[in-house]
Amino acid sequence: MLALFNEEQQMFESTAKRLAESIGITNPHDLNTNDRAHGWQMLTDVGLLGLRMRDNGVPLASGVEVMIAAQALGETLTPQPFISAVLAGELLALANAPDELIEELVAGETRYGLLLDRSFENLAAPDDADCIAWDTDGAHYALGLIQNQVVRISLAQGFEPAREVADLTRGLLHRRANTTPAETIGEPLSAEKIKRWLALTLVTVSADIVGAITAAQAGAVAYTRERVQYGALIGSFQAIQHLCAEMLVQAQAAHSINCYAAWGVDQLDADEALLAARTAKAYAASVALPVTEAVMQVYGGIGQTWEHIAHVYTRRAMVNARLFGDETYQLQRIADARLGAQ
Amino acid sequence: MDYRDTPEEAKFRLELREWFKHNIPANWRDITDGEGLRALAKSWHKALYADGYMGLNWPKEYGGQGLSPSFDAILNDEAGRAEAPRLPGMVNYLGRAIFTYGTEEQKLLFLPTLLSGEVQWCQGFSEPGAGSDLASLRTRADLQGDHYVVNGQKMWTSGALQADWCLLLARTDSGAAKHKGISCLLTPLDAPGITVNPIVLHSGEPETAEVFFDDVHIPVTQRIGEPGAGWRIAMTTVSYERGASDTGSISVLRRQLRELEQIAHQKGLLNDLNTRMKLARAHVDIEALSLNVAQQLSSRLAGRDPGPEGSVGKLLWSKAAQYTMHVALDVLGADALTGNAPRWLAEYFTSRPVSVYGGSSQIQKNILARMLDMPR
Repeated sequence: MLALFNEEQQMFESTAKRLAESIGITNPHDLNTNDRAHGWQMLTDVGLLGLRMRDNGVPLASGVEVMIAAQALGETLTPQPFISAVLAGELLALANAPDELIEELVAGETRYGLLLDRSFENLAAPDDADCIAWDTDGAHYALGLIQNQVVRISLAQGFEPAREVADLTRGLLHRRANTTPAETIGEPLSAEKIKRWLALTLVTVSADIVGAITAAQAGAVAYTRERVQYGALIGSFQAIQHLCAEMLVQAQAAHSINCYAAWGVDQLDADEALLAARTAKAYAASVALPVTEAVMQVYGGIGQTWEHIAHVYTRRAMVNARLFGDETYQLQRIADARLGAQ
Repeated sequence: MDYRDTPEEAKFRLELREWFKHNIPANWRDITDGEGLRALAKSWHKALYADGYMGLNWPKEYGGQGLSPSFDAILNDEAGRAEAPRLPGMVNYLGRAIFTYGTEEQKLLFLPTLLSGEVQWCQGFSEPGAGSDLASLRTRADLQGDHYVVNGQKMWTSGALQADWCLLLARTDSGAAKHKGISCLLTPLDAPGITVNPIVLHSGEPETAEVFFDDVHIPVTQRIGEPGAGWRIAMTTVSYERGASDTGSISVLRRQLRELEQIAHQKGLLNDLNTRMKLARAHVDIEALSLNVAQQLSSRLAGRDPGPEGSVGKLLWSKAAQYTMHVALDVLGADALTGNAPRWLAEYFTSRPVSVYGGSSQIQKNILARMLDMPR
């Protein structure tokens, strides 16, 4: 057993972190000025979109590398839609979609969001009236599922940007009209393939949570070394110290539990992989808001303002917590797996 | 990153699984009286040792097995899966002090019998006035020729009633700064001048004790480490005491959860959504703990000693242990309270001091705040 990154994974992590720092955001104003196209080009050039391309049926990189990349990009609240790209690519690969579709995706030319049902828990069918296309910055299509068949639908018509959304960093479109018919892509997915896709998905979203809460926590701790009240740095107050320590525990535990799930995506049998991923997502979802809320608390008044980065973490974390099922949803399915269905 | 067992680990796991099948004492759960439990702990320790399952991570010359720390994790997993009695908890961390700081002679003299369970040890650290603030301890050891004369009082000395020897912290230099004047003495509890009084815990069991020292003579050769090295030795000891794998605690949690799932099934509670959610959440908390510990064991394997991040594991352990016992109270319902299932009431109380011993949860958070380089 080696529960730590190997040397290659450590190098990959520093590459991903450097990239994330160069294309991510550090304050809400950056959301208006961030050069989305440039960031997308960099993600593409580094090869992050092609992590799960298959070589003779074997993914180029494991779930662990996907986790590392998603966590690094989550740390800097990167607005470029890495998650939907890598998960769409995985769907295409699992469905044995034509090579050119995958190549266009990996080249960053054709961009995909994911089609989700209104609850945000499942991939949706395009004829679902309430469906939502998620992580759609620059996207041409969204991938959905009809029964076990991958379908894609053009986002050019029938969709409109959602207003007043929680997450300021990622695009979201509502289905408004049923205009273009969906195209069937590749072969129907076996139950096992759907479980594996879901396992990778839960790991990737959990990694985004881990990244966001780790960075948010680090920012709050840094602030406690600058802010003075009662003539003392607020980081010297035990109440603040214990808040920060608790955040650290939650972020580290979420990471530890997600590492195993990320490894399991390719190494465990499909049911075990999914159970490990649900366990990781249940934990990550349960700490996403508590950590980002504690961060806003440590910043005090300034942490309640639009100009401050704190709410951007909270917003991204609350959406991540719900994506593909929140804590309650995962716990119910963990219980089904361990105790038998109700 | 690879969570799979190496071939050696896999072989060990299979053998262990088979061993548990044939060696777990029958009906051990029916033993609830203190005397019976102590006899069980002793015979279980000896059985594990006899077949080479104690001191997995210790060098062979001191009676260990010379295996990597990951084998302790496997022992925990399998003991939990087999629903075995608690693994001997204090051996690993008390032995670690002697093992790390003792002379070759001391190691050869004390470690093999500590591992075998032939000689029982306890930890003389806390005092009435020195709990969380351990460094303010006042028990004195004054050097007189070739021996120390010890006077003072220890408290919360778990297992002292059964123990033969004590890893004792005492102040040998009252002029030095409080962390620097402490030394560590290996002390036989049958030495003249030592009185041990039981402290009965909320469970009703005299699990711990207070120990009085009245002009007790300890040869200088029984000091481990240099004079004044006691604080460092204590910190090494507690860093292992905080390890849920080192103390066998993960096995306890896995066993408890498995049993609670079975009890919930027998009581027809598996259709109750609330119970299902709680059992699932206990699983999540235990996984968070054991996977965090797995990372710490791997980093130990890479040559790093347990550091302040051990406090993360200790806090996760406290949370998992105490949450699981809240689930137990829910699943057992009135049975835990009416004497129909007294073992679970005892297990509940046993989960409470987890957030106190080895440094309270509040102390762990102080340590983490320091690790985060927060202002003092």
